[in-house]
Amino acid sequence: MEWVNAIVQGILTGGFYALFACGLSLMFGVMGIINLAHGDLAIIAAYVAIALIPTTHLPMVWAFVVIVPIFAVGGYVIQRTLLQASLDRSPFTTLLVTFGLSVIIENVLLEVFTANGQSITIGTLITKSFAVNSTITISYFSLTVLGVAIVVLGGIQLFLSRTSTGRLIRAVADDREAAQLVGANYRHVFGIAAAIAFATVALAGLSYGTLTEFVPTSGVTTLLFAFESVVIGGIGNVWGTLVGGVVLGVSQQIGAQINPAYQILAGNLVFLAVLAIRPRGLFGMRTA
Amino acid sequence: MADQHDGTSGPESGRRLGEIDRRNLLKLLGAGVLGAGAAGLASDSASASPSTFRTMRSSRLSAAGSSTIKIGYITPRTGALAGFSESDPFILGKIRATTQFAKGLKIGGKHYSVSIKVVDSQSTSNRASQVAQQLALSTKVDLILTSSAPETTNPVAAAAQQYHVPCLATVVPWESWYAGLGGDPLKPTKSYEYCTVFFFGLPQFAGCFLPMWDRIQKETKADKVFAGMYPNDADGNAFRDGFPPFAEAAGYKFVTGGAFTDGTTTYSSMIENFKSHNCAFFSNCPLPPTFNTFWKQAITQDYKPVLATVAKVLLFASTVKALGNLATNIATDAWWSPFAPHKSSLTGQTGQELAIEWQNSTGNIWWQSLGSSYSLFEVAVEAFNSVSTPHDHSEVASALHKVNYTGMCGPIDFAKGPAPGVGIIEPVGIQWKSGGKVFGKKFPWVPEIVDNSLNKETKITGDLVVGSY
Repeated sequence: MEWVNAIVQGILTGGFYALFACGLSLMFGVMGIINLAHGDLAIIAAYVAIALIPTTHLPMVWAFVVIVPIFAVGGYVIQRTLLQASLDRSPFTTLLVTFGLSVIIENVLLEVFTANGQSITIGTLITKSFAVNSTITISYFSLTVLGVAIVVLGGIQLFLSRTSTGRLIRAVADDREAAQLVGANYRHVFGIAAAIAFATVALAGLSYGTLTEFVPTSGVTTLLFAFESVVIGGIGNVWGTLVGGVVLGVSQQIGAQINPAYQILAGNLVFLAVLAIRPRGLFGMRTA
Repeated sequence: MADQHDGTSGPESGRRLGEIDRRNLLKLLGAGVLGAGAAGLASDSASASPSTFRTMRSSRLSAAGSSTIKIGYITPRTGALAGFSESDPFILGKIRATTQFAKGLKIGGKHYSVSIKVVDSQSTSNRASQVAQQLALSTKVDLILTSSAPETTNPVAAAAQQYHVPCLATVVPWESWYAGLGGDPLKPTKSYEYCTVFFFGLPQFAGCFLPMWDRIQKETKADKVFAGMYPNDADGNAFRDGFPPFAEAAGYKFVTGGAFTDGTTTYSSMIENFKSHNCAFFSNCPLPPTFNTFWKQAITQDYKPVLATVAKVLLFASTVKALGNLATNIATDAWWSPFAPHKSSLTGQTGQELAIEWQNSTGNIWWQSLGSSYSLFEVAVEAFNSVSTPHDHSEVASALHKVNYTGMCGPIDFAKGPAPGVGIIEPVGIQWKSGGKVFGKKFPWVPEIVDNSLNKETKITGDLVVGSY
């Protein structure tokens, strides 16, 4: 039964990894941008929540509703200005620019919020859970995060496959020149993709900030798990990211069940195995 | 000097390139973009001199003619362990205002002014080691003071020993510090000439926590089983080896959480293990975010020990805030409190007066680091006052090994310690309660002194109660 519990908890953790990773996957799949500031952007969202809640007296739920659209708009603006400008130069420039962004964010957060650990408090809700049996207890919050991850990733999948804007995004991702020839404004399309990616980053940051304690430099550690989820699932594949997150979460928990010292190691070994056996990831369809 | 420089410029530039890791690049870029604001955080990150034999030798006598005593002070001002150093600006202000530091010291008939160079270790070992090396070789300090967890103190002590600069550390279990220098805490006979520490060790942790367990056990008749959540790092390994024998001798059965990695996101298997063994008592020493995550998940999975005595976390009010109501009744140790009758050896100010002044100037409740950071400078003055020249590193170091005085942290005797150069201070047990008054001011979280088994001079301020989360 402990093993079943390990798998259940791994799936729940995987939901969080997937939520964290989906923006990364989208930015890379569509624009070819490896966003090294991804983790730091999530931490900004958590800090904005910390700053917003006491001043506006908004309940936490409303903070979520406010912060996510702000991030979407921010994503569009940053894509159309900074990121597009660096994309126009070379892919390596985007790598350096997002790296620089990461540095700036960390240092600004340090200046504004100090290095003290913070956590978004949602009262007793964080520890509410239900017991499936004597060993398996499921936290409502983790379940919510998994649910949000499924809804977000499913929503993105539907958006990409069913709407005209979604088709445009895929067209631009597949062949930018051809899409331009038929009149697509790829810069605008990139902006929309970035807006979606930033909105999901905000969600991920808010759940991270609620699940644990964060400092301005926390983004970097979590970015690693996000990268691993993306690579395991297959770059540019939305559902693949969800599966990647879950595979990573479950393998970490199984490792921990064998010996707590193997938790992180087990995840990294699975990641390496996928890289060695299926370099495009479990669901990688095309070379991005 | 010119020859030496030419001789090393090749390898140096090679090293430089290799050294620009992510962290360094972060700091460099940060300093460039943010200008003055970030420059403070990023100071000193660029230059690390190579450790040639010649520079090592020359550093020992370099400042021989100078009439300034340079003291380096390395603490984690930023990063995961920043809570430890929150009282640094206040304490440095207090120290710089004392006659000894403002007017200087008279040593061997000569007057010396004192300057303190403050450096941030960013809570990481790499950075701590790098800045310690710079202080030894470039700044050429006469003494390095360091505080707050092995991540900072151990690499600093190791560098000080290597470059022959006297070093005094605190707020690190001495076993962890001693092991960091290469010694065996179980056979602590080897002396590290340049390194000293004052704090306590595992016998004191046990002497502080076990009486609390016994009291709660008597009250609740809970199982005598304890969970040990010790990560795979310097503190964790020292605890896993050293703490359980004391608890087992007192009749408590040990259930280990394994040597897990800091920063793990899910602890459900560990929690399940603790739950299935009915671990009524809980002991640990993780990094703050690790404990935050673990504790939330433990409560969620209905693992609720009757008493949790934690080490390394929840030592300060700012870290308690992040856990919110879940911190109620968690117990930990306090190496300094304003409720003991100790006073400054520099000014005669009492601990209570210091705490009230801190409270008035920052609005914060008393901070354990106030006392330990203060005493670092007291001990430094004691040592400098007993040498003939403050620039003779070996003389200052051996003076540090002999210091025996009473100050802000009470009596400290470096000659007596469990290992050479180790002075012991005795902690008390505290338990976090929400809402309370200290020295006439209300605070959302108050660390009440609930057990003084080791340090009878400290006043008890609250009752020890069974955990309810």
